[in-house]
Amino acid sequence: MVEYRIDRRSGVATYVQIVQQTKQALRLGLLEPGDRLPTAREVVEATAINPNTVLKAYRELEREGLVEARRGLGTFVRKSLGTTPADSPLRAELDAWADRAREAGLEREDVAALFTAVLDEHFRDDHREGDEV
Amino acid sequence: MTGTAMEAAALGRRFGRRGDGDWALRDCTFRLPAGSVCAVVGPNGAGKSTLLAHAAGLLRPTEGTVTVLGTTPGAARARLAYIAQDKPLYPQLSITETLRLGHELNPGRWDGAVAERIVAEGDLDPHARVGSLSGGQRTRVALALALGKRPELLLLDEPMADLDPLARHQLMGALMADAAENGTTVVMSSHVIAELEDACDHVLLIGDGRVRLEGPLDDLLAAHVLVTGRDGDLDPHTVVESRTTGRQHTALIRPNGPLDESWQTTEPTLEELVLAHLRSPDAPVLTLTREDEAEEAAA
Amino acid sequence: MTAVTPTPGEAPAEEPALRRALRPRGLVWTLLSLHRAALLFWVLLVAVAGGTLLWAYGPGTDGAWSEYRTMRCAFSGEEDLSCDYTGEAFLALDAATYLGAMIITVVPFLVAVWAGAALIARELETGTAEVAWTQSVSPARWLTAKLAVPAALIASGTALLVLLHRLVWPSNRELLRWLDWQWYDDLPFRSNGPVAVAYALLGLAVGVLVGLLVRRSLPALGISLVCLLAVHFLLGALRPYLWPSVTLTTTEDYPVFSGMPVDDGGITPIGSHVPNPCGGEDPGCLTQHHIVGFYVDHHPPSHFWPLQLTETGIVLALTALAVLASFRLLHHRTAA
Repeated sequence: MVEYRIDRRSGVATYVQIVQQTKQALRLGLLEPGDRLPTAREVVEATAINPNTVLKAYRELEREGLVEARRGLGTFVRKSLGTTPADSPLRAELDAWADRAREAGLEREDVAALFTAVLDEHFRDDHREGDEV
Repeated sequence: MTGTAMEAAALGRRFGRRGDGDWALRDCTFRLPAGSVCAVVGPNGAGKSTLLAHAAGLLRPTEGTVTVLGTTPGAARARLAYIAQDKPLYPQLSITETLRLGHELNPGRWDGAVAERIVAEGDLDPHARVGSLSGGQRTRVALALALGKRPELLLLDEPMADLDPLARHQLMGALMADAAENGTTVVMSSHVIAELEDACDHVLLIGDGRVRLEGPLDDLLAAHVLVTGRDGDLDPHTVVESRTTGRQHTALIRPNGPLDESWQTTEPTLEELVLAHLRSPDAPVLTLTREDEAEEAAA
Repeated sequence: MTAVTPTPGEAPAEEPALRRALRPRGLVWTLLSLHRAALLFWVLLVAVAGGTLLWAYGPGTDGAWSEYRTMRCAFSGEEDLSCDYTGEAFLALDAATYLGAMIITVVPFLVAVWAGAALIARELETGTAEVAWTQSVSPARWLTAKLAVPAALIASGTALLVLLHRLVWPSNRELLRWLDWQWYDDLPFRSNGPVAVAYALLGLAVGVLVGLLVRRSLPALGISLVCLLAVHFLLGALRPYLWPSVTLTTTEDYPVFSGMPVDDGGITPIGSHVPNPCGGEDPGCLTQHHIVGFYVDHHPPSHFWPLQLTETGIVLALTALAVLASFRLLHHRTAA
């Protein structure tokens, strides 16, 4: 199960935050195919946001084919984004790369900027939903 | 989930004697869709409470009509719930007795399980006298009494005033959960706009007894643009508010057609939108819910 | 939109059918729970007054009689005016009867004050009335219950006390001669018939109307009391004229009569009734003023019931007016 954290000051629309956090959970393997997403009731009870916002986010996820709504049962994960589970080789490589960047004297902001620039170059289409956390 | 939960037509209410009385509401016409969570915002004394009391059937309009759930407020009494600003409850009753009152006065509608769950979530002693409760606990009991009735329309007057942040969050959560589960239309007033921005999807702005803005939150935000730039002509756009500081010109506008490239634009927040309208009482009225007449100018 | 699912109430199934049928519901339950203290007070008041009157009827009367006999004052056909009767048992009976009548007479004022302040105004003041009106209960039904439930309790309690008071009253006619109480005195008159119930109901109706008008407990309390006092004194003063009195005339002394005196004076040669200019029966003065006779207007004891029923009718009419005004006021203020 995933728990959403709504950041009021982020400037990111609330429903986008839910979409992003769901994807993040999928990526990190916290959610797997067959898992049920929290119901709108559960989400709004914990976050005090408008139910339609949750439904809008779930519709977005459904449109992208990541989840499916089963009538009367809830919304379930259909496929994983888990090409990079938390302990994958890719992560290890990134780990090593970050170490080297630090040894090279780069500040945190420099690393982030560099990383984002590379991301933008390679994933131009997904730009709208940049996955920085 | 379609249809109209609440509708006002030229609603006016005057307090005091004929002639020299003050109009608390004047010429209010709007429509709130069923299933929405609507924020009634505006400064203190704008007429928000008066409006909600009319919808609850507690006051008789001086002129015009208010329709709720397709009928008069009196006829819809069983299907709506209302919590007044100071959360009145009988202080001499215990919480259990207060819920029993809901059971006795709402025959055939009362859902004791719902009410008891709301009380239980607040960790309240059911045998405590209502008179001994704190503000937040009292609000919780009032909410239990209101939701136990399984209302189709829930009217809340400043529900979160006097609550600490935790209680505020919990109660708003309980409220949203009910809206999610039962499709309850929630209409709540507040003069603290920030606390409503995440919860509401519909906005009704009242200023000085009149409707200033009304529509789905997203549409209202989308219909306005905050522009900054060097002083320049904003025709043909509708200017709600504009300020000039040195060479910089800032304005909240409703664009009519494409904007000049030289302007820097951002989408306003609800708070910016509301404040700009309240600072400019002469800004034209905008109501977006009535598809047939999307925009109408104030008299 | 909202499916009205039958909700399993928490009604305990084992409850006997009779108790379930008698259990108060809805607004009646609400009223009884909200005003438990007032209900308890009323039951205690009726119990105390009723107990006192019952005591007066039984042991009180017996004690006074035996004391009376011991002191050889028993009435034997002829009034024994030499018997100066002031025994302890007699005084106790006097006090008990007085207390009973006093409580019966004071009830309408208590009711008015309570109805104005606690029953209505406090609810409007604190907004709890709006809690009731936004349940599935219309303001009119709310007001109906607010009037009917207390009215039933107040009327039945007062009626019970009046019956007990009437029980004490005639059974002691001879003893009561010493009490120097007459049937037409204010206290016994109000305590001996349906007018007591009517005044109690008027207290309720006036209290409710004032409460609705004023909407604040303390002023409502004061104004209800003042209104009821005004009606009380006004009707008290008008009482002798509520039914045609009987006139007795003589040419010598003042006529002898028994009952409620209304007016008296002299008769002139042309037959008109004038106030006695002499204040007494001094023949010189009377001749000088051409008074040839005397008259007395009075109500004989047989007028008790006509007077009671007329006053009851007037008080009930006032009650009805107050009730009507209350409903109209509430209807005018709230959406139907």
